[in-house]
Amino acid sequence: MKGVAVTGTGLVLPNWGALAQAKSATEAAIKNKKRCIMLWMNGGASQLDTFDMKPGRPTGGPFRPIASKVSGMPMCEYLPKMATVADKLAVIRSMKTQSPDHPDGIYHMHTCYKMSERTPHPEIGAVIAKYNGNPDSDLPSFVRMGSTGNGGAGYLGPLYEPFGIGRDGKLGSFTSPYLPEEGEKKRADLFRFVEDEFTSEHKADPFASHRMAKERAWRLLRAKSVFDSSKDWPKAKERYGDTEFGRGCFMARKLIEAGVPFVEVGQENYDSHADNFVCHKANMQLLDPAWSGLLLDLEERGLLQDTLVIWMGEVGRTPQINNRAGRDHYIRAWTVVLAGGGIKGGQVYGSTDVDGKEVKDNPVSEGDLFATIYTTLGIDSRAKHYHGVRPIWLTPEGTGPVKELIG
Amino acid sequence: MKLITCLILTSLALTSSVMQADEPLRGVIDRELAAGWKSKNITPAPHSADAEFLRRVFLDLVGTIPSQDETQKFLADADAAKREKLIDRLLADPRFATAQADTWDLVLFGRNPGNADATRKRDGFKIWLAKQFADGVSYDRMVRELLLGEQPGSEMFQVQFRSQPEEATVLVSRIFLGTQLQCARCHDHPFDRWTQKDFYGMTGFFVRVVVQESSSGNNKAYTLGEKSTGEVLFSGAAKDQGPGKKGEPVKPKFLGGPELTEPVMPKDFKEPAAPKNGEKMPKPAFSRKEKIAAWVAAPDNPYLARAAANRVWAQFMGRGLVHPADDFTEQNPPSHPELLNAMATGLKSHQFDLKWLIREIVNSRAYQLSGTGSLREALPTSFERARVRPLSAEEIMAAMRKATGYDAEGKTPANLGNAGNEYFMRYFGEPTNGLGEFQGSLSEHLFLNNGEHVRGFVRRKKGNLADQLLVSNDPWEQRVERLFLSVLSRPPKPAELTKFTEYLKSDPKPEPRLEDAIWALLNGSEFRFNH
Repeated sequence: MKGVAVTGTGLVLPNWGALAQAKSATEAAIKNKKRCIMLWMNGGASQLDTFDMKPGRPTGGPFRPIASKVSGMPMCEYLPKMATVADKLAVIRSMKTQSPDHPDGIYHMHTCYKMSERTPHPEIGAVIAKYNGNPDSDLPSFVRMGSTGNGGAGYLGPLYEPFGIGRDGKLGSFTSPYLPEEGEKKRADLFRFVEDEFTSEHKADPFASHRMAKERAWRLLRAKSVFDSSKDWPKAKERYGDTEFGRGCFMARKLIEAGVPFVEVGQENYDSHADNFVCHKANMQLLDPAWSGLLLDLEERGLLQDTLVIWMGEVGRTPQINNRAGRDHYIRAWTVVLAGGGIKGGQVYGSTDVDGKEVKDNPVSEGDLFATIYTTLGIDSRAKHYHGVRPIWLTPEGTGPVKELIG
Repeated sequence: MKLITCLILTSLALTSSVMQADEPLRGVIDRELAAGWKSKNITPAPHSADAEFLRRVFLDLVGTIPSQDETQKFLADADAAKREKLIDRLLADPRFATAQADTWDLVLFGRNPGNADATRKRDGFKIWLAKQFADGVSYDRMVRELLLGEQPGSEMFQVQFRSQPEEATVLVSRIFLGTQLQCARCHDHPFDRWTQKDFYGMTGFFVRVVVQESSSGNNKAYTLGEKSTGEVLFSGAAKDQGPGKKGEPVKPKFLGGPELTEPVMPKDFKEPAAPKNGEKMPKPAFSRKEKIAAWVAAPDNPYLARAAANRVWAQFMGRGLVHPADDFTEQNPPSHPELLNAMATGLKSHQFDLKWLIREIVNSRAYQLSGTGSLREALPTSFERARVRPLSAEEIMAAMRKATGYDAEGKTPANLGNAGNEYFMRYFGEPTNGLGEFQGSLSEHLFLNNGEHVRGFVRRKKGNLADQLLVSNDPWEQRVERLFLSVLSRPPKPAELTKFTEYLKSDPKPEPRLEDAIWALLNGSEFRFNH
């Protein structure tokens, strides 16, 4: 099925525009490798006000927990919809990490390596793009919306760089051709003629890589309609919540369904050094329908078992409430939530002490978390790469997957 | 012509690989490579065509492509020594200095240097570097000054290591000594002889360097100072570290050499108070910086000449004889040891004159092999075909301007408008993965296809290529010929001539089609790479 005349999903050229609507696209995507959606809580969400609540303790704060579908997994009263899908969630309450601030935490929680090392480690999205992406796809293999990672593709190279879009599906720079369609086609044909002439005598690999990237850029724009959610959003917004973040989650589902292996959606405003509770209440009201809606939507479409949904940010927040009713950055004991993609749902892994200050059992490091993620996605977490002469592994030495989390 | 090439190569292959006194290095290069081909039963690519050589050597020496005039003159020249003469002319061209400065700036800083706030803009450094090449300053002197950082501009090299003496150790060892020490930062090197003591021994030379910042208005200036005290503390392998574990001071030690002997500081010595804005720090009682600069840049330093020769070879031939070019270890021997010896010895006897080495390499028949053939490797391991390398961001911009006559009409600013230079840096700055392999990227092509900046090159503007071809009354065949000479530095092949002539003729208003034609050539693999 390979070749310029056929797209990655097996549709011939004239059908490019119809990719999003094509039933066969979904079917083909399901057959592909596992995919991943990362919901990035930018600034760092509070574990004490979401999934590791300490009611009645000085660190507890004003929110009340509610029971969820799973006993032993209470959650915040502002996550009522999430409580109904708790059976899908694996809540890791024992994250113990190393990078306490934003740029370094963002880097660390996207690459599982410290930023201070000057090796350019790839972000999780680039890794999944490399290992689980379909090289013949019309669509980019690493898409993100909103402010999220800061590492890019690193040593994996330009092929796996993130492709940024708006949460409404608006494409970034240089995605509107200045020529009319007919003119584009004529020019493209002339380019192909030039390439054919040159490559009749020149066979080195870089030439092929150059040509393929050119074709990919054209194919992407012809498959652009996938990014247009204006028609189906009115129906979906009730489920996801009529918010920017909700729309981003819906877009992520659409892209995953169309075969994109990794999509990251950022939600802003978690860095609540002041007025933590005001911030978190507002954020959770957007998060709750979007996240739960995404999980249910994926499940209904038969995509959840092959799509891992990660909920995390760069840091947790301090158990102590500061004098501005805020919570500061905290990395000694905090929470990440996984669902779908082969993760064993309905469980709480690890725990913290009575005030949430220390991990009580089963600490999970950045490397352990990433090894778990890669393993459940079918990627060898100790795959070896090189930066110059230096061998580097996908996850650091001494870390490994948490077997209990994988179903 | 091909037959002659073949005969020469055969006879080269038959010569023994014994070095002859006073033999020009270019002869040694060809003899050693031919011996390698013979032993591996490899047939090298044919000798390059004139046009192929012309474009290659222009990009490699002066960082851009030849003008249409230069190309026509060179191709028409019947002088048998025209390649050698061209090389001499380009080596004397002022653009040689700026192009080599761009190349070495990338070696010394990469695209994402440390201390980004200070190093992001380093025009002063590039001016200093270009001056070294323009003035023919010898490599050892240039290296010494990079480590001393006393001339205006040169300080920036060490400014990137501000408060990170370990980074200085990694980079200085790698770039100037061809030795990868970074593994020994956290543990003894697993398969090389370097230990953590070696790593921190070298770091001891950089630990007292202080980057001073002075500002007037929005402009910040940097100078290097050095303290008289301060030691590197070493506390064992990274995996054995824990809170509260204290390290022992490590004495400075030259890599693979002796410990530094230095005077003992009086017990009651106190560092002078920090200088005010704009004031220089007083010189230290004893300068470790001067010692490391003198040691690294000493002509008889055991690593310096070999590392430099290998790096320059890799710059022009695609891969080092030791490859990667900065990874000299016992486990990674040179592919052509005699040749590496000859280059290093020659570099020393020519007072570290890089221009001499470059002249010899690009005059070799090996450098002048064709880029054609069925081999797929970008950087052939036996140098049996010209290497294929992507143009750097700087070269792409310069070549596009030259190809399209962008600067034909009067003075055009050095930078493209609307942040054009920044876009080119972003999309062309880092085209390879961690192994140095080229990867075409989506964003590069979206920019090339749809960006106004690239369109600005192809669109008709008074005096530019599109304009010249549109005002001409010559038959389209002749105009297509000029188009190819201008963009690809060669005449079109018959099929190309026919195709392009038809394409341009078929519309009574040919302007949009001419834009397409220029664009298609600018976007092709042939333009994107040096091959």
